[in-house]
Amino acid sequence: MSRQGEPIADYNPRYWRTLDELANTPEFREWIAKEFPHGVDLEGLSRRRWLQLMAASFTLAGFAGCRWEKTEIVPFVHRPTGRIPGKPERFATAMDLSGEVTGLVATCVDGRPIKLEGNPVHPSSLGGTDAFAQAAVLQLYDPDRSRDVIARSDGQWVVRSWEDFTAALRERVAATSSGEGWVFVTGATSSPTVRRLRKLLEQRWPKAQWFTYEPLHDDFVRRGTREAFGVEARPVYRLNQAKVILALDADLFFESTGHVRAARDFAATRDGNPDRMSRLYAVETRWTLSGSSADHRLPLSPGEISAFVDALENCLATLAAGESLPDIGSSPDQSPEARYRAVFLKAVAEDLWQYRGRSVVAAGNWLGPEVHAAVARINKRLESLGGPVVYLPVSDPMTARTAESLHALHELLVSGSVQNILFADTNPVYSAPLAMKLNQLIERIPFSAHLGLYADETALSCRWHIPMAHFLEAWGDAETWDGTYTVVQPMIAPLWGGKSVIELLSLFLDANKNAQDWVYETFQARYPHSQAADWERCLAQGLFREENRQLNSLTELANTAKREIPGDAVERFVAGEKSTGNSVSVLLTADYSVYDGRFANNAWLQEWPDPVTRLTWGNAAVIGVETARGLDCKDGSVIRLEVSSATLDLPVVVVPGIPPRTVVVSLGYGRSAAGHVGGLVRENIPPVGVNTYALRSDASQFVFSGVKVTKLPRNQPLASVQDHHLIDRVGLQGRVERLGELVREVTLERLTDPHEPYSAEEVVHHPPLESLWPEHTYDGHRWGMAVDLSKCIGCGACVVACQAENNIPVVGPAQVMRSREMHWIRIDRYFTGTPENPRTVHQPVMCQQCEMAPCEQVCPVAATVHSHEGLNDMVYNRCIGTRYCANNCPYKVRRFNYFYYHKDLDNPRNEVQKMVYNPEVTIRSRGVMEKCTYCVQRIQNAKIEAKNQRRPLIDGEIQTACQQVCPAQAIVFGDLADPSSAVAQLHQSNRAYGMLAELNVKPRTKYLARVRNPHPALQAIEYREPAATHEHGA
Amino acid sequence: MFKPYLPLWFDRARPIFGALLLFLPLYLLGVAWFAADPQTIDIGYSPAQPVPFSHALHAGELGLDCRYCHTTVEKAAHAAIPSTEICMNCHDRIAANSPKLALVRESYATGQPIPWVRVHDLPDFVYFDHSAHVNRGVSCVECHDRVDRMDRVYQAKTLRMGWCLECHRNPEQHLRPQDQITNLAWQAGSPEEQQRIGEELRRKNNIQPSTSCSTCHR
Repeated sequence: MSRQGEPIADYNPRYWRTLDELANTPEFREWIAKEFPHGVDLEGLSRRRWLQLMAASFTLAGFAGCRWEKTEIVPFVHRPTGRIPGKPERFATAMDLSGEVTGLVATCVDGRPIKLEGNPVHPSSLGGTDAFAQAAVLQLYDPDRSRDVIARSDGQWVVRSWEDFTAALRERVAATSSGEGWVFVTGATSSPTVRRLRKLLEQRWPKAQWFTYEPLHDDFVRRGTREAFGVEARPVYRLNQAKVILALDADLFFESTGHVRAARDFAATRDGNPDRMSRLYAVETRWTLSGSSADHRLPLSPGEISAFVDALENCLATLAAGESLPDIGSSPDQSPEARYRAVFLKAVAEDLWQYRGRSVVAAGNWLGPEVHAAVARINKRLESLGGPVVYLPVSDPMTARTAESLHALHELLVSGSVQNILFADTNPVYSAPLAMKLNQLIERIPFSAHLGLYADETALSCRWHIPMAHFLEAWGDAETWDGTYTVVQPMIAPLWGGKSVIELLSLFLDANKNAQDWVYETFQARYPHSQAADWERCLAQGLFREENRQLNSLTELANTAKREIPGDAVERFVAGEKSTGNSVSVLLTADYSVYDGRFANNAWLQEWPDPVTRLTWGNAAVIGVETARGLDCKDGSVIRLEVSSATLDLPVVVVPGIPPRTVVVSLGYGRSAAGHVGGLVRENIPPVGVNTYALRSDASQFVFSGVKVTKLPRNQPLASVQDHHLIDRVGLQGRVERLGELVREVTLERLTDPHEPYSAEEVVHHPPLESLWPEHTYDGHRWGMAVDLSKCIGCGACVVACQAENNIPVVGPAQVMRSREMHWIRIDRYFTGTPENPRTVHQPVMCQQCEMAPCEQVCPVAATVHSHEGLNDMVYNRCIGTRYCANNCPYKVRRFNYFYYHKDLDNPRNEVQKMVYNPEVTIRSRGVMEKCTYCVQRIQNAKIEAKNQRRPLIDGEIQTACQQVCPAQAIVFGDLADPSSAVAQLHQSNRAYGMLAELNVKPRTKYLARVRNPHPALQAIEYREPAATHEHGA
Repeated sequence: MFKPYLPLWFDRARPIFGALLLFLPLYLLGVAWFAADPQTIDIGYSPAQPVPFSHALHAGELGLDCRYCHTTVEKAAHAAIPSTEICMNCHDRIAANSPKLALVRESYATGQPIPWVRVHDLPDFVYFDHSAHVNRGVSCVECHDRVDRMDRVYQAKTLRMGWCLECHRNPEQHLRPQDQITNLAWQAGSPEEQQRIGEELRRKNNIQPSTSCSTCHR
C-alpha cells in the first residue's frame, strides 16, 4: 500500500482524459488509490438505524400478503380506431427551439408520448435529433410545470381559472381600439401561424408594440450580413458539399441553423473515402463540437479571432490576385507559437483557395458584426455562396433570434407608457442585464401576464401567470430554414390545461377558433390549391412536400461591403496579442445542457456531461493550462470575476486547449425560479450553477475584456465525470504495459497508402488468443454493433436517448461525485497532443456484449448470462448486488443502483413523471446491477413482429436508441450472422478494431478508427508519430 | 430432601423437545415454501368480476370465437379485454334489460369503463407476448385451460417460470394446426400423433423457442 503514492513507472499515455492523468500528479495517484473519491463517508444512515429499518422491512414483507395485489383491467368503452392497448403508435410532430426546427416522430404508448425520434423524411433531421429533443418528454411530464392559472393580488398568489383570465383580458381589450399601451413580448419562433396571428393583430392594433427576445441571439450575424449583402440574412451550411471548412468559433453541430442536419452532412464526408473526405479547421476560444471534430484546431482568445479573419482576408486577396503567399512561417527568430500560427494561416488560406467553390467559412454567433461581414465577403470570394453555404434573408422579425429589442423594451418600460404587457414563452427577467431592473419595471404595469411552462422569474413579476401547453400538447406549425412547412401535432391533451401561444393570441382576434383551425387556415392560405388529402398527408408525414421550391439565397454583395484591412494584418496576427497583466477575457456561451436556461429543470440534461469538460450539474469557469498556472488554480478552485457591473464567484475547470488569459463560462444556470431540479429559491432549493447573465450589460453580451480575476481561498467540488471508472495503479500500469490504444486514429494518407494496407486491428500485436472456456456457438442471429469514431461528433444525444429509452434514473450531483452516474452509454473524451493545443477524440462506450464476458464468469448467482444470440443478458431479479461483475468489467460499463433512485415518484405530486417510463423496460430497484442491453426490448419486439408477419428480419429494421438518434449516423447495429448486413460489412472494414480485444473477451461492438485529414504542413508540427507498436503481452 | 423444580417426566422428555426445536425451523421453512408456491396460492384464484360474465356460456355454449372479443390477441402482446362497445354489439338487443348487464349498459351510457379484475397476472418484469404464441401454433388452452367450461374464470396453470420453460424446451407437445388455435376442445388422437404434428409444425414454421433470459426479461 505504501507504493500507492509513488509515480507510476513509464506512465506516458498517448491519449489522456485529464491533465492530472497526463502529468501523473500526486492528486491523480491519490484519486485512483481511493475507494471512495473525495474521501466521503457514506453519509445518511448509521449502521444501527439501518439494522432497525431492515428489521422493520422484513416484518412488513412477511405481512404483505400471499398473492399479488388485486389489480384491475380497465378497458376502453369505445376503443379508438387503430388503437391497440400496449402497442406503440407513431405520429409526426416537430420541435421549435427558438426558431430552430427539428422534425420529430413521437412514439406514444396508450396515448402518452414516451420517446421522440427524428423524422426520417424531414430535411431538418433525416432521423436524428439533438439532446434537447430527446429530453423534451421529461419536460412534458415535469411535475414542476405550472398547473393553474394564478394571479397576484395584494402580494399573494391565488389560483384562478382560465375564464377569470379571459374575463380580465376582455375588460382590458375593450378599453382600446388601437392597441395603445399594449406590449407583446415573445421568444423567437418559426411558426407561420403565430407570425400570421401577429400580423392580423398588428393590423387591428397598429399602436401595439411587439418584441422578440432571445438571450442567445444572432444579432451580430444579421448586422454583419446587412453590411455585406444589404439585407439581414442567416447563413446555413451544407457541409456535404464542402471539402474544406473553417469554423471560427462556430458550433456547427449545436448552434448553427440546421445543426442536426449539419452533423449528418459533415459525417457523410468523414468515412475515409478520399473523394469525399473533408478537412475541418477550427479557430476558436472555447471547445465547440466543431473544434473537437476538427483536423486542426487553433485556440485563440476572443480578440485574436478577428485579427485572424483580417489576416485571412488579406491572404485570400493575395491568392485571388494570382500571387502566392509569402513565406511567413520560417523566420528563425520567430517563437514556435508564432511559427505555428503562420503555418496555420497559410495552410488554411491555401486550402480554402485551392478548393474554392467547395470550401466554406463559418463564424460563431458571438463574434462581432465586422467578422460576419468579413466571413460573408470571404465566402463570396471562395465562390461558395449557393454551394456549401447559403445566406437566406431573414424577413420576419419573429424568426430572428434577437436581443437588441430588449434595449427598446427597457426604454419603453421606463417611459411609463405601457399599460398592458404580455410575455409568451420568454423569460427576460432572468436573462436581462441586472441593471435594467426589469422585474421592478414590470411590477409597476397595471396589467401584466406571462404564458410559460413554469412559473419562472418573469412570471413572478407579472400579475397573471398562465400555464403554457408543451409542444407535445398543442397544435402548431413550424418552418425550417429552407421553407419546409412542418406541422406540430399534439400527442396528448394538455396535462394541466395549458394554452399555447396560438391560443393566447387568438383571444385577441377570434375566440371561437381553436388552434387547429388557425393552423389549418394557415396551411390553406399557404397552399391555396391543396386538397383535403394533402393536409392528411401533411399530418402523416409531418411536413408538406413542395416540388421545385427555390431557395432565395443571396449571391451578390452590396456596394457597402468594402472594408479597409490594414496591410500588416498578417504580421499582426502572427505576432499575437500582447499580455495584459492580471486581466482576462471572459466569453459567455450557450450551454450544452440547459441551452439558455430554459432546460434548467430538466434532470436528464442537467446530469448529461458536457461534451468536453465532462461536467454535470452546473457551470464552471473553463480556463486553459497557462491561465491555471498563472492563477495557481486546479479543478474546483474558486475564482472571482469582476466586471464593472457585477462580481461572480465560479469554480474552475482546467481544460487543455483553452487560450491563455481567457475564461469561458456557459450561460443558463443559477435559476432562482426554475423548479425543484434547477433551483427554486422560494422553497429553499439552491440554484444549480451560477447565473452568468449577471455579467451582461447593454454594451457587452458575450465577450468581456479586461476582467479582473482573483483566486479565492476555497474550493468547490465539481460533479465531473471525466476521471470516473479509472482503475487502480496496478491496472493503469498494466494498461500501459499490456494493452493497445483504446482509441485509434489514422491519417487519410496512411489509410489510402496503396503499398501498405492499413489495419486498425494490427496496430496492436498480441500473442495468439486462446480461451480458457469453451466458446459459444450460434445458429441464429448474432447481434453486433459498429461505432465509427470518424463520424462521432461527441454531441451526446445518444446518452439522453438511451436514458429515455431504458428508464435510466437520475442520481444527482452528490452521487455523480461518487462516480455513481447511471448512464448506460458514456462518451469518453480523450485528448492527445500538447496540453496547450490538443486534439480530441470522442468514443461512445456502452456494453460491448463480450462473447467471453468477464462479468458472466464471476457472477455467483448467474444473474448475467449469455443469450443464444450473443447478448450478455442482465437478469435483475437474480441480482444480489455483489458488484463482482462491475469489478471485472474491463470497459466499466456496468452501473449499480446504490439507492432506490425512483423514490421521489412515490410522492403523489411527482406521480405524473411516471408517465415518461418506457413500459417495455423494467424499472430497476436498489441493489441491482444494470447495463446496456443493445435495446433488447426493441430486438424482441421487432423479431415478434417479423415472425407474426412470417417474414425474415430486414437489416436495419432494429435500431438501438443510440443508433436511431445519432445525427451523424456513427452507430450501426445489426446481425453479424448475415454477411450482407451493414454491421457485418463494417466489421470487415480495415478500420475496425475491438477495444481491448487483446484480452480475448471478444467484444461484439467494434470501433472504426477515426480518420484524420491533416494538412501536410501542419501535420509535421502537430502530430507526433505514433509510438512503436506495443510489446507482446505478458 | 431435594425437590425438583420441574416434574421428572420433563427431564426424560428433554431430548424430544430438543429434537422438536431442531426441526422447527425446517418445518416453518417447509410451510413457507409450500404456502408461497404458485401451486398453492395461484391455482384456483377466481375473483368475483363486476359483471358476472360467463365464458362457459359465451365461448362454450354459444361457441363464440375467443378473438371475437379479445381482438388484439394476434397483433399485440396484450389480449385486450373487450371494450364495452363489443359487449353492446349483441346486448343492445339480446338480454337488453337483464339486471346482470346493468353495469355494462351504464358504462356504455356514461363512458365509465368496467373495472374487470385481473386473473392471470405475471410479474411486471415478465414480458409475455400473446401474438408471438397464438401465431405460432400455441393455443389459448395451453395457459388458460378450458375457459369455455368456466363460469367464472379461474387460474388453472401455475404460470411459474419452470412451467414456461418446459414448453419452450419441448414445444412439440403443445403445438397445433393454426386453424385450431381457438378451438379449446381440440386434441390430437394420441400422444404419438401429437408428437408427430408438433414436430412437423415446428419444422414448417421454424419454431425455435428461446430459453435465454432476455426473451422474457428486459
